[in-house]
Amino acid sequence: MLNNLKVERAILDLTQDQLAQKIGVSRQTINSIEKNRYVPSTVLALKLSAIFDKPVNEFFTLDDED
Amino acid sequence: MKNTNRAAQYAKEHAAIERFLDYRLASRWKMVGIFCAVAIFIFLIAYKFYGSNELIIKDVCRTLILFFLLLASFSRDVIEDEYVKHRRSQSYVIAFIATLGYAILIPLIAYVLDILICRITGDGTPSFHEVSAFEVMFMLVAFQLLFFEVLKRFGCAE
Repeated sequence: MLNNLKVERAILDLTQDQLAQKIGVSRQTINSIEKNRYVPSTVLALKLSAIFDKPVNEFFTLDDED
Repeated sequence: MKNTNRAAQYAKEHAAIERFLDYRLASRWKMVGIFCAVAIFIFLIAYKFYGSNELIIKDVCRTLILFFLLLASFSRDVIEDEYVKHRRSQSYVIAFIATLGYAILIPLIAYVLDILICRITGDGTPSFHEVSAFEVMFMLVAFQLLFFEVLKRFGCAE
């Protein structure tokens, strides 16, 4: 799964640490998601959706392997 | 009615297992567990070094090492989120496979080395050394703790 979390974070001018604090996870979780090393749960995806004020499928997209 | 009861029973069992899987000790127990396990390990080496070899002391120390390592394995991280839980689950899987590999390969390697040494020295007969239960359990917990830290680092790498 691909994502443009980094772009969305930049739009809101948030650091990884600040975003992590907002959704109650660690900075390494945000980093792992951004680097496509970890696919978050639906709960976490919806929390991100609430922060970015966008539907989940606008910043998470399926890739060829999915 | 019977099906409803069964479904309720399954739900109850499932909830109990979930509660058990989610339960973790406070994060400070991780350091306590590792520190105590290392301290006992050093004591065990020193104890052997000074020539004492009482079996009961050795067994108690081994059990305590396993207990403290389990304590470390069972404690939560400072920030316990879904990523950490995911990596922990992976570390248990890897530890299980690595320990089985260890339990199969090490006796074989030791046996082959034993054969070679016997042939070179022309002395004695090669023997097959089985891995002890302590060794297996120690490697299982040690691998889990090790791989957990390694896997977590994926999230730190730039």
